[in-house]
Amino acid sequence: MQPAKSRLRTRIKPAGRFAVAAAVVLAGSVAGITGIAASSASAKTAKPITLQFWSTYDLKDKEESTFVNVVIKKFEQENPGIKVDASVYLYADLLPKFLAASAAGDPPDLMRSDIQWVPQLASEGVIKNVGSVPGFSAIEAATLPGPLATTRVATGEAPGYYAFPDDTNTQALFWNKALFAAAGISGPPKTLSQMYADAATLTNASKQQYGLGVDGTDMWNMAPYIWSAGGGFTNAKYNSATGVMNSSKTVGAVTSLVNLLKAGDIGSDFEGGASAVSGEEGFPKGEYAMYIDGPWAVDTYKADNPMPAYGIAPFPKGPGGSVSTVGGEDIVVASGGHHITAAEKFAEFLDSPFAQEAMAAQGDMSTETSDAAAEVKTTPYLKVFAQQLETAKVRAVSAGYSQMDSDWSTEMGAILAGKVTVSAGLNTAAAQANGALRGITP
Amino acid sequence: MDKPSGAGFRRARQRAGNLLTPYALLIPAAAMFAVFIIYPLYRQFNISFYDWHIFPGASNPGVGLTNFRAMFKDPAVRTAAVNTLLFVVITVPIQIVLGLAAAAILTDRLPGRGLLRGLIFIPVVTSWVVVAYIFAYIFAEQGGLANAFLSLFASHPVHTDWLAHRWTGEAVIWIVSIWKGIGWSFIMFLAALDGVPRTLLEASRVDGAREGSVWRHVVLPSIRPTMAFVLVLLLIGASQVWIQVFLLTGGGPYGSTQVLLGVAYQQAFSFFNFSYAGAIASVMALVVLVFSIVQIRLLRRGQVR
Repeated sequence: MQPAKSRLRTRIKPAGRFAVAAAVVLAGSVAGITGIAASSASAKTAKPITLQFWSTYDLKDKEESTFVNVVIKKFEQENPGIKVDASVYLYADLLPKFLAASAAGDPPDLMRSDIQWVPQLASEGVIKNVGSVPGFSAIEAATLPGPLATTRVATGEAPGYYAFPDDTNTQALFWNKALFAAAGISGPPKTLSQMYADAATLTNASKQQYGLGVDGTDMWNMAPYIWSAGGGFTNAKYNSATGVMNSSKTVGAVTSLVNLLKAGDIGSDFEGGASAVSGEEGFPKGEYAMYIDGPWAVDTYKADNPMPAYGIAPFPKGPGGSVSTVGGEDIVVASGGHHITAAEKFAEFLDSPFAQEAMAAQGDMSTETSDAAAEVKTTPYLKVFAQQLETAKVRAVSAGYSQMDSDWSTEMGAILAGKVTVSAGLNTAAAQANGALRGITP
Repeated sequence: MDKPSGAGFRRARQRAGNLLTPYALLIPAAAMFAVFIIYPLYRQFNISFYDWHIFPGASNPGVGLTNFRAMFKDPAVRTAAVNTLLFVVITVPIQIVLGLAAAAILTDRLPGRGLLRGLIFIPVVTSWVVVAYIFAYIFAEQGGLANAFLSLFASHPVHTDWLAHRWTGEAVIWIVSIWKGIGWSFIMFLAALDGVPRTLLEASRVDGAREGSVWRHVVLPSIRPTMAFVLVLLLIGASQVWIQVFLLTGGGPYGSTQVLLGVAYQQAFSFFNFSYAGAIASVMALVVLVFSIVQIRLLRRGQVR
């Protein structure tokens, strides 16, 4: 009796054999595309591999060119078998593109992700839990608490670290020296109540000059006013908003801003709309006497001619302290990436002092404690931001954050339009936030 | 049994060929339709019943009708449904009436007819991005043409921030969409009007029919199939309104000008609620399908054959 294999072979006609061979070749190609073959081949033959890296680096200044010509170049020198192909996308395009690529089984190996996307991507399973990467514990120990917190997803089925911290930032108070002097105010406000009083003094409706610019009703822009007043959005576990988002302190903080808007002391940027003038646009023109912004605004104003005489100060203290919002980006490794080990190696390299310092020189503040002094020395204007980061808080590290932020903003719109009271609006926002934080469809 | 004669066999083969050729020619289009329309529609409907995750191989527990039930309680969907319905009700009839009127006028031999036809059609082929930018300038609060024009008739300068409020924002979206869409219905009606038999028109006029009667009893029944086609396609297009909303108001302020497709996109790509987005899109598709069938049937009733 012939073995089964031989019998099978005898039964397949030449055309059938061709089809089987073609299928095998095709399957091999598909495996190659999906990386199954590629990773094993690279291990055996040490063929050079190319990592795909997606980001939203700025192409107008030196941020992207420094990343490519300094950071990647150094990494490739140190790791001869690995090349990095960096692609830049618009902010609005990056996330949908990454999702589509992940769903198709062909994502980039790494992405420089907005910190708020990390929990969402983790909940979808499209990024790796990187907490067990050998070098991660050293990174964990070296990273500032705020940026580190953005990488740790505590909710969901598998809590852990889902990203490498990359760069951080926060907002501080920008104040127009000439307008302050003209109003007889000697310096930036140190307290929230002083800030609101100064905003009223600095407002001059006839000149279309507003004391304060608030760049929107979203959490990034409103959080410093809420947190510094002692209010908040969610509990520490990011699974409930009840009693925090609708607490008396949050109601008080929002009421203060609503009153300022009614008095005409806050500009068009707060309510938004197509004709709204953003803080970055209105501040150099003298439309806003003060507003909060991140370190990138300094580069923007460097390009302005004539440059406004302005100062940067910590966000004014309230009952909750001087609390701003942690911003920045993290590096995520795609679960479906083709070269996961090499990708993790590159992500670790991006947290090295060399990479962090190179990018800090371009305004991307380092996430590491040890770099703070050095980057302030090379870029003195970062001093206030570094100081502000010490007390800055992270927004909810939750897959429901985007939904919660959108619902919050909508309710704020209703409050500002006078359709609901502050208290009623925040009660609704808190109820909606509970659903979003628990992953319940609206 | 008799073997078929050579001529008979050829005839049979020819008949089979004649029968199969149309199907063979349809295969590429049908395959593309199946791959790019039918399958995605099926998948979209299918994932609506799961807590679906995009990562291949991820666990996707079934949730039954939860996503469909949630739609009816979601205030964002309610607002978007109202906005979408208003968009359909307002823009579709106006596009048909104005498109037909323009076609009726430009069917006659007028000086500059070709130029006018071209001018009416240009907006159709102009990029939405360009159009949105132009109209954002026209309706800008400061220095906008619309406010400047209205100021001519007001006792004080008008400073309406058109795109910052719900109803003024909606009005701009409707105006832009009508302006951009007229050209398409115009071309359709122009072709249809060219096909109305001259003999019928002349006979009715010789019989003493007034122009209104000629239109009611001759022209409109003659172009009824085109009317049905234009109506159904405009309805489908208007139900899927989004790009102009996205470019002009971004759905704002605070979601007040948002439309159903915008909610579905936001749920999928901002909030990662792919199943919920699928449920919204499925209901939209179903409603459009039902309305289209009803419309076609109503318009076929009494059609001149």
